[in-house]
Amino acid sequence: MKLKLQYLLLGCICFASTSTLFAQQNYQTTTQLTSNLKSLVSKHKSNAKLTSLIKTLGGKDIWVLTLSKGNPDNNPAMVVVGGVQGNYLLGTELAIKFAENVLTNNKSVLDNTTFYIFPNMSPDATEQYFSKLKYERQGNAKKTDDDRDGQINEDAYEDLNKDGLITLMRIQDPTGDYMMLEEDNRIMVKADTNKGEKGTYKVFTEGIDNDKDGAFNEDGEGGVHFNKNFTYNSPYFKPGAGEHAVSELENRAMLDFLYEKWNVYSIFSFGPANNLSEPLKYSASNAKKRVVTSVLKNDAKLNKQLSEKYNELIPNKNAPASITNGGGFFEWSYFHFGRLALSTPAWWAPEFKGDSINKAPKNRDANFLKWAEQEDVTNAFVDWKEISHPDFPNNKVEVGGIAPFVQNNPPYKMVDSIAQKHNTFILDVVKMQPSLLFTNLKQEKLGSGLTRITVDLHNQGLLPTQTEMGAKSRWLRKINVALDLGNGQKIISGKQRQLITKIDEDGTSHFTWLINGKGKLVLKAGAPQTGTQEITINL
Amino acid sequence: MKSYIYFIALLVFGLSTTTIEAQSANDIFRAAGSPHNPKVSVAFNKYYTAEGLATISKKIADAYPELVKRKSIGKSTQGRDIWMLAITDYSVGDADRKPAFYVDGNIHSNEIQGGEICTYTAWYLTESFKDVDYVKQMLKDRIFYIVPTINPDARNNYMKEGNTAHSPRAGLIALDDDSDGLFDEDGYDDLDNDGSITRMRRKNPNGNMIVDPLDPRKMIQIGPDDVVTAQRYENLGGEGIDNDGDGSINEDVPGYYDPNRDWGWKWQPDYIQRGAYKYPFSAPENRAVADFVLTRPNIAGAQSFHNSGGMILRGPGAEEDKETYNRVDARIYDAIGNKGAELLPGYRYMVVYKDLYSVFGGELDWFYGSRGVYTFTNEIFTGFAYYKNKNGDRDQAYKAEKDLLLGDGFTNWKPYNHPTYGEIEIGGFRKNVGRATPGFLLEEEAHRNMVFTFYHAHHMPLLSVDNITEKSIGNGLKEITAIIKNDRLMPTHASQDLKYKIERPDYIFLSGATVLAGMIVDNDDFNITTEQKNNPSKIKVDNIPGNSIIKVRWIVKGGGKVTVTVDSAKGGLISKKQS
Repeated sequence: MKLKLQYLLLGCICFASTSTLFAQQNYQTTTQLTSNLKSLVSKHKSNAKLTSLIKTLGGKDIWVLTLSKGNPDNNPAMVVVGGVQGNYLLGTELAIKFAENVLTNNKSVLDNTTFYIFPNMSPDATEQYFSKLKYERQGNAKKTDDDRDGQINEDAYEDLNKDGLITLMRIQDPTGDYMMLEEDNRIMVKADTNKGEKGTYKVFTEGIDNDKDGAFNEDGEGGVHFNKNFTYNSPYFKPGAGEHAVSELENRAMLDFLYEKWNVYSIFSFGPANNLSEPLKYSASNAKKRVVTSVLKNDAKLNKQLSEKYNELIPNKNAPASITNGGGFFEWSYFHFGRLALSTPAWWAPEFKGDSINKAPKNRDANFLKWAEQEDVTNAFVDWKEISHPDFPNNKVEVGGIAPFVQNNPPYKMVDSIAQKHNTFILDVVKMQPSLLFTNLKQEKLGSGLTRITVDLHNQGLLPTQTEMGAKSRWLRKINVALDLGNGQKIISGKQRQLITKIDEDGTSHFTWLINGKGKLVLKAGAPQTGTQEITINL
Repeated sequence: MKSYIYFIALLVFGLSTTTIEAQSANDIFRAAGSPHNPKVSVAFNKYYTAEGLATISKKIADAYPELVKRKSIGKSTQGRDIWMLAITDYSVGDADRKPAFYVDGNIHSNEIQGGEICTYTAWYLTESFKDVDYVKQMLKDRIFYIVPTINPDARNNYMKEGNTAHSPRAGLIALDDDSDGLFDEDGYDDLDNDGSITRMRRKNPNGNMIVDPLDPRKMIQIGPDDVVTAQRYENLGGEGIDNDGDGSINEDVPGYYDPNRDWGWKWQPDYIQRGAYKYPFSAPENRAVADFVLTRPNIAGAQSFHNSGGMILRGPGAEEDKETYNRVDARIYDAIGNKGAELLPGYRYMVVYKDLYSVFGGELDWFYGSRGVYTFTNEIFTGFAYYKNKNGDRDQAYKAEKDLLLGDGFTNWKPYNHPTYGEIEIGGFRKNVGRATPGFLLEEEAHRNMVFTFYHAHHMPLLSVDNITEKSIGNGLKEITAIIKNDRLMPTHASQDLKYKIERPDYIFLSGATVLAGMIVDNDDFNITTEQKNNPSKIKVDNIPGNSIIKVRWIVKGGGKVTVTVDSAKGGLISKKQS
């Protein structure tokens, strides 16, 4: 009886917690994500649509959540992406919390904007966080020969200290080139002989050299990394890159979707790339090369402006530098897709402010550990513990180090406040989106049925109708300006249809026509990423 | 009962076809170098649609089941099968392990000859197998993967719809070329219904052209100092009307993207490399090829056929990719390419980026850069072919059209009432002149290009265990040394392959004795060796170079006669027992 009551109570609590929209206690598994997405959509049927683009090789759905009022194609669109890299679970939470926030608190934003939200692009990899053996996996479920030796997955990690985590191992050996960090001797760093330092340890990831090739854990399970499988600066033949760019089902499914969405003007992704704490830097010489490797000049200005806005909400103190290993999603979204591309890891350990006793460390890892201690994060470090290792029978071998995931994914209780700041920021960017307006319409009667029409087409938005990069791309439409003539009307001067490549933020294009005839005519202008404006003129 | 009748009918039909061939065989005298009494008769003085090519390849496969396996490697945009013929002597060895040569044609829709050259090659290999020792040996040692057209939809579009000699180049995925939200809405229009898109001209007192008084087919440009008394004309471009009423003619033709800018080595988007589609292998036909090739690590050589200009091309395609091709591999390319220039009079051996143009995303760059496969692209047909003369000027086409084609290549100018331009004239060279080889030259061009691919295929690695020697070193131990030989020009790993470990190492196994140690012999005279500590019975070697040998050695205990096996992805699987 007592037991039953407990179950009932537990059931009630569970039910209550899910019904208060994802009162999640921890990062969510793919199964939880799927059910949370479904329940969100069921509560907002008229504004939210959930589509599975494809199932990964690991059998996981790649979800896209479309938020819109009416036909999603009819408004300019912002894309929000989580799970860009398998070890950044935070992004998935932030993407879904953004969707939840739009639907529950900010539905009016859908009057003018559509959102395509991809909560997790690396579901095969993020599952590793929830597995018995936790390590920062990035690869999907494809079987790959990471070290290209003809054998597949022949040298995976081993959990030598049986703590369920893959950390590091250090081997006492005078030939090693690692030493303990002075300010925190739990941390191993490379010795610098130029500073008179001498290494006494070898450091590897935790495991055995299963295939006896001298490398540790170089070819374990998985796979191709979502964030290494794109076309910009593709890291050919590197582990995780895939045999060619966009070889993977999830990468291809996403691009096939996005290339059909002409209304997308911006892509916001949560991952290791960071052009918000610090904007991309313009280099004239790299921008002029045939293969462009610098942000273009006007886009750099825009990036700087948005970065300043971001830093007001999320100060860039101690922010990590942008990490790019080639083939990244963020770079693709700007350099090859031409959209306004924004990316941030969203969280990092703040700077630990020392005092006279407790000095502030210079080393990033040491700073992290100090911060973790201060915040009572108990699982941040696995203490070094001696084990016996078959590959080093005559050496002292210890396993330990900073736990996987903790440096990129904060304790879950912090996620809400991080989400709130990012919700605000994304909605601030959306307020700037391009928006066309016909203004200063003039009709001059020249006599005998002849009228001169002049009008300004004004971009009220604080973003240009396309980025400077987008203006080069065939995958962003130009602005079509067209006249629908009434019966018997004739254009004497001016074009019936014309294309404008771009109107700058707060910029204007001027038009003039000579029309012969009477009655109504309709003037239209727009592109999918700006929305369409229409006015009716009576001659 | 009924089926019995069918059977008789079939028998009679079968008899009648063989009867006709047997009858004509008596009346035929073999011309050297050509199958004279083939089981499958094909005329090589005309071109075939995608369906035409598919029918012929089926006939070849049906006639020679012991030599041909025919398979669809995927579907085109419009759902056509992309047919591949895997040709080898299936009675010898494991077909999938033989060094393989990949050939395709027609990636560019209007560049059609590849379809016929590939078909000729498949036909020649099967029909000559019995009589020609060279072919017999080739099919014993090698396998050919032949894909006559990797662009069947647009091949048909080129042949069946109104086109110029240059259109379409793209595949048939619709694209919005003029950014108006409409797809392929303003293509060419064959106004005079001659099957070709020719030119439009209009009489205009201020025009800058006149008709050549010596050749009414030809328009000539008026120079600044010319005194013109003849009727002046203006050129109005290719045949067409403004289908979408936007004030432009033919501005959004079927396509447009370039399937040969779609390959996954150093791929660049459209704003950098005009013609690129969405991402590598976003054209389904190319994806089918790439997926097939990725499952065939035995492919060691490859060839694609384009037109025109008489070129034997190798990479790098892009100047930015110069570093990918190093000197060791350039020597191998040069040896094969220069031989090609000899076999194909009028053709030049060239490097794409410096002799033609600098482009990203080409097929030959993917094959080499990403798979380490030595690959050429031939641009079939050059004006040289008309008069076997390098000095033909631009009037040569007019001359040849009159004297050699007897007027079969030109639509004479005729008046037409155009909806926008009013009274105009339409005329010009038809689409099958200029790029496509004329019928009477096609078989020769097919044969010469085929023998070039044979030369290339001949020089894929050919491995053998040359020699196994044994020496006693006391304590019941023996030292066994094997010499592995590669008889041909190509190594088992191109230098690009070695640089990035594209393909796994070659393995050399010893069986029949207990192996205590194994090593590669670097220098036998001074006994310099490199020991492989782990798993010594299976020695890994990075490469077996061309026209060269490598030595491996094992220290073994006991056993009798040993067997040495070489397992190389591109060099095949061979074995030899100690004699």
